[in-house]
Amino acid sequence: MDAVQISNVTKTFGAVTAVDDLSLTVPEGSVYGFIGPNGSGKTTTLRMITSIFYPDRGDVRVFGKQMLGSRSELIGYLPEERGLYRKMAVQPMLEFYGELRSGRKVTAEVKSWLQKLDLAKWASQKVQTLSKGMSQKVQFIAAVVPAPKLLILDEPFSGLDPVSADAIQAAILELRRAGVTVILSTHDMQVAENMCDYICMIFRGKKVLDGTLASIQDRYGNDTIRVAAEGGMQFLDGLPDVERVRDLGQVQELRMALGCDPQQVLRMLMARTRVISFSIMKPSLHDIFVRIAGAEAGEAQHA
Amino acid sequence: MHDAPRHSLHRVLLIARRDYVATIRTKAFIIGLVVAPLLFGGGFLGIALMQSKPDIRERRIAIVDSTGLVAAAVIEAAQEKNAKELFEKVTHRQVRPHYVFETPPPAPDPKMQRLEFSERVRHERLYAFVEIGPGVLDGGTRTSSEAAGDKDTKRGPVSIYSNAGGFDEVSRWLSESINEGVRRVRLAQLGVDRSRLGDVLAGVAVDRFGLLSRDPKTGKIQEANKKNELAEFAVPFSLMLLLGMIVMVGSSPMLSAVTEDKANRLVEMLLGMATPLELMMGKVLGALGVSLTSSALYIVGGTLALEGMGMAGLVPFMVLPWFYIYLIAEVTFLCSLAAALGAGCSSPQEAQQLAIVLLAPVMIPYFLFTFVMQQPNGGISTALSLFPPFTPMLMLLRQAMPAGGVPAWQPWVGLVGILAFTSIMVVAASRIFRVAILAQGKAPKVADLVRWAVRG
Repeated sequence: MDAVQISNVTKTFGAVTAVDDLSLTVPEGSVYGFIGPNGSGKTTTLRMITSIFYPDRGDVRVFGKQMLGSRSELIGYLPEERGLYRKMAVQPMLEFYGELRSGRKVTAEVKSWLQKLDLAKWASQKVQTLSKGMSQKVQFIAAVVPAPKLLILDEPFSGLDPVSADAIQAAILELRRAGVTVILSTHDMQVAENMCDYICMIFRGKKVLDGTLASIQDRYGNDTIRVAAEGGMQFLDGLPDVERVRDLGQVQELRMALGCDPQQVLRMLMARTRVISFSIMKPSLHDIFVRIAGAEAGEAQHA
Repeated sequence: MHDAPRHSLHRVLLIARRDYVATIRTKAFIIGLVVAPLLFGGGFLGIALMQSKPDIRERRIAIVDSTGLVAAAVIEAAQEKNAKELFEKVTHRQVRPHYVFETPPPAPDPKMQRLEFSERVRHERLYAFVEIGPGVLDGGTRTSSEAAGDKDTKRGPVSIYSNAGGFDEVSRWLSESINEGVRRVRLAQLGVDRSRLGDVLAGVAVDRFGLLSRDPKTGKIQEANKKNELAEFAVPFSLMLLLGMIVMVGSSPMLSAVTEDKANRLVEMLLGMATPLELMMGKVLGALGVSLTSSALYIVGGTLALEGMGMAGLVPFMVLPWFYIYLIAEVTFLCSLAAALGAGCSSPQEAQQLAIVLLAPVMIPYFLFTFVMQQPNGGISTALSLFPPFTPMLMLLRQAMPAGGVPAWQPWVGLVGILAFTSIMVVAASRIFRVAILAQGKAPKVADLVRWAVRG
């Protein structure tokens, strides 16, 4: 069974169409990533899955059932905007959230997660005394206690330091191994490439990409060259049939025009400088994202 | 996977419990319990304190008497009255000013004389001056001004000139003495023996009673109870004041609380776990719990205090169930409204501007209470107390008044009205709350709120 099935869903806010005739399915047990620039409709879609927003048209089903006007203990939701009761102690607050979702006491689960994310000694401290990273981990625990079947994470790594990000990434993957379906939205293409079984890109409310990373990359073919050459960018100007050069620092990424011969590019490059490495590859998700979203994507990267 | 109603109710209660505990643990709640009655009752306390410290400075009054007959009688009446009231009977403390009179003769130029006395009043050498016209003894048709050749007909047969503003207690006091003096002179002119004037003019005590009734069991006629000023005014007014105070203390924080939850991004987290209706009702129920707690403290405390003073009979126990019904209804509808309005605001400052909307159902009945107490069963009082937003305060006021008796059907019709009104408000507020709570940017217009309330 699909964990989530969205069929021809449209959602408007006044004159703005946030989600436009969107259809997708999220297979059970997968990690499904939403990517897209700011304001593309990701958060609105996630809110419709959790039934916080109702679609104007179309149908949203979670584990085969419509969710309108109800809440399910099977869905854990981490919103993009973090919200915690600052004056409550960590453990009572997590127990409140857990009981609110499940309708039962969740003391043991909360303790276990606090241990797992190295927050046990902060259990009796007020939330307002926690660092930002710790608060984010607490918020994550609020989404996963008690065990959800579907975990929806809106920008789960936003603002996290690498250590906290690694801890939460490990926790997500552990939940996936336990059979939990994870839907996450992210601006970090590396995260999407590394973690997601399926990736869906929403742009201006419409789905523009949907599938596994490999299937998405296959659509673009081997049109990318990654090269490391002495002198870097200064020798890459004016190469024929190269549409775009992206400087990644130690290496540069070249996008070839349709029908371009990579051997010809290599020959020309060797004539200009000493080539250290040269590989022909599929485009990265980042590159695909930029190709679709253009200037708006640049905005998203800096958001 | 869908929630059972039991789970939904559990969520409402859980949110209510969290909000209730969070509120009653705050210093603001504890302080509010003490401060609110002081604020509401402070005015009355202030009046009582001021009355205990009356202005007893000597009052010098000049009486210009065109008749040559009345001034002496007025002064005699005033001095008798002054002597009776000057000291408090039990403590013998002076509670009234001592009145001193002078009787200058009328001057040829009355305007100049008035100006001269006015200057003396301005320089506080005189408190006021009185001009008694010649027609005062023959029915008072000729004015004091006419007698002086003054064509100004604005003045009556007796005029008091003073610099006092607002409630001029001295003028009121002097008027009584002047009338008493004028009556004495008139009666003397009619040949009534001067020694019997006191008996002729003496007032009689009028006792006020309620109505008699027949005991339904024994058939005996039950004597009417003597009316008690305290029970007639203080008890109904205090009960209405208490209801309004608890309603305001319980419902007004809701507006800023919802706005703060929204601003602190708590709302979306909660909406992932509870529906907007559950969230709103949980918050309303929490506020209701706070109101019931404070009302219980005030009622129990008030009853014990009255019992300690031997006045437990004043507690209107028969009306208390209605007090709680009205309290629950009004807190529910005002908190729902506050939640809806708070959801539409993006900052606590914005929310404060809307607080007046929430105060109206409490403040307007406060302004109307004297009118309703004067005519508790009049058409306008009845209509006002059946207008749902005012029903809790005004119907309670009428029900708590010992005499008169509200027709038995009226509280029930009022109850149906307030319950229907509250239900409609809760549904409309939950619709607004659902749409507005996650909306960002500029505040919605009234038209938006109405549209959301109707369509959801």
